[in-house]
Amino acid sequence: MRKRKKEHYLFILPSFITLIFIVIFPTIFLWYVSFTNYDLSMGWENKSWIGLRNYKYLFLEDKDFWYSLRISLFFSGFTVVTEFGLGLLIALLFNRRITGKRLWMSFLIIPMVITPSIVSLIWKLMLNTEYGVLNYLLSLLSIGKINWLGYENALWSLILVDIWEWTPFMALILYAGLQALPQEPYEAALVDGASSIQLFRFITLPLMRPIILISILLRAIDSLKMFDIVYGLTQGGPGNATELMSLHIYRLGFRHTNWIGRASANAVILLMIVTLLTTVLLRIMKRESGEEY
Amino acid sequence: MKTSKNKIQGVVFDILIGVVVLFCLFPFLWMFLTSFKTRVQTIDPSVWIFKPTLENYQAVFQKRDLLLYIKNSAVVVSLTTLTSLFLGTLTAYGLARFNFSRKEDLAYWILSLRMLPPMAVVIPFFLLGRFIGLLDTHILLVIVYLSFNIPFTIWMMRGFIEDIPRELEEAAWVDGCSRFQAIWRIIFPLVAPGLAATAIFCVIQSWNEFALAFFLTSFNARTVPTTVTFFLSVLGVIWGEMAAVGVIATLPVLIFALIVQKYLVRGLTFGAIKS
Repeated sequence: MRKRKKEHYLFILPSFITLIFIVIFPTIFLWYVSFTNYDLSMGWENKSWIGLRNYKYLFLEDKDFWYSLRISLFFSGFTVVTEFGLGLLIALLFNRRITGKRLWMSFLIIPMVITPSIVSLIWKLMLNTEYGVLNYLLSLLSIGKINWLGYENALWSLILVDIWEWTPFMALILYAGLQALPQEPYEAALVDGASSIQLFRFITLPLMRPIILISILLRAIDSLKMFDIVYGLTQGGPGNATELMSLHIYRLGFRHTNWIGRASANAVILLMIVTLLTTVLLRIMKRESGEEY
Repeated sequence: MKTSKNKIQGVVFDILIGVVVLFCLFPFLWMFLTSFKTRVQTIDPSVWIFKPTLENYQAVFQKRDLLLYIKNSAVVVSLTTLTSLFLGTLTAYGLARFNFSRKEDLAYWILSLRMLPPMAVVIPFFLLGRFIGLLDTHILLVIVYLSFNIPFTIWMMRGFIEDIPRELEEAAWVDGCSRFQAIWRIIFPLVAPGLAATAIFCVIQSWNEFALAFFLTSFNARTVPTTVTFFLSVLGVIWGEMAAVGVIATLPVLIFALIVQKYLVRGLTFGAIKS
């Protein structure tokens, strides 16, 4: 009897131990480094414990830290809301009888599965001021050249690329949600003479609530940690116009300065923001799966 | 009257879908076109129809050594995928078929690891890799990639295993099969499609990963996504070669993604939404 009770360890432990070693241990190490003055140019044994000084530096002296936090939050908020809105419209467009629907939907997959670093290159090519195809197409509409990746516009261009890449994600998930809706409430409401806007507002949206929350949180988490697209498109520049949180960590730790201690402190802050959102997301997912059974 | 109004509405909606499809497709199409242009044509966006050249593809293999990057990617991707499929499926079975205290807490804790920001993972691995001399090796990337592939596999496979009725397995036990025999003979053939889909998702995620590969490798173990660093300079970017690299890097992923289209939403939401 005792033996049977412990049988599940055999299945669970291999992954569990692996994850402790490759995720938990390194994360603790990251926290530790964030309390030291370690710098890549010094020997590991020369570093010393400096308590919260790295955090103090970020909060009190590093204006670029606050800037990167601000634009990261703005970038995530703006892209997620826009992608949700557009995604919902696209999902509704597809939510009816269409010939060749599967084929059309398969085109939506392209932006989100192709290698993100390559995505940034494609857009870099298209956004080039002198010979990019975007300015060419605009010139056909007699709109003058736009310096897409200049200081003023770079963040908006980044937002544009993100919207291109991830709106289909929202659309596909919301479409799946629409397809899974039960028919009965609609029939009942139609009998009562509800308009299609009322149907959407009072039946579709409430029933879709969990899926909407899950998709928004998944996107928000992903866009807060984003590194690849920005790196390929602008490397955080010009100046620090597109220096999102991940890029600021990169600059502190690896680029000009080798302040690994400060970079670690910043990474810990990013980790805490992401963990906060993850906690909310998982709580919703847990509640939903609880209701399912 | 009403039907003609509906018809017009239908046509408008169809046109809108066409616009969406074109918007999604165009950047890829433009890259595809550019990869077959000569150097002069690449800086002239008014050229849409031209005689294609293969010189960019030749150049990226001869001058840029793209084959080495593809080989590195293939090694890293296949090893990390196989390892996480093995470990992850085992755990997924444990979560699907046993009841023990705090099981759901464990499952959600595992999922939370999937959300870690790469910049928080990269610093400790960079330092530890330096201390033990593993920087720029395949094995380091394989291990780091397990950190997102194992949680993903566990969540996907748990769903697929739970979809199979317990009774099938119990019948096999009655016939004298041990637990592992029953898994091998009953569960395995039934979850094979799900396992294949999960494998493909792991391949796509690992193939596309940039940040970790960028910081943890320098020359020997560089993977395909890091080739973007060839083309970062503001001046003198060879757009044709860049596009050729892009096409070669993205075509396999696109084909893989089309194969798992049916499971895409499930994969994107870690099994939370089954369509």
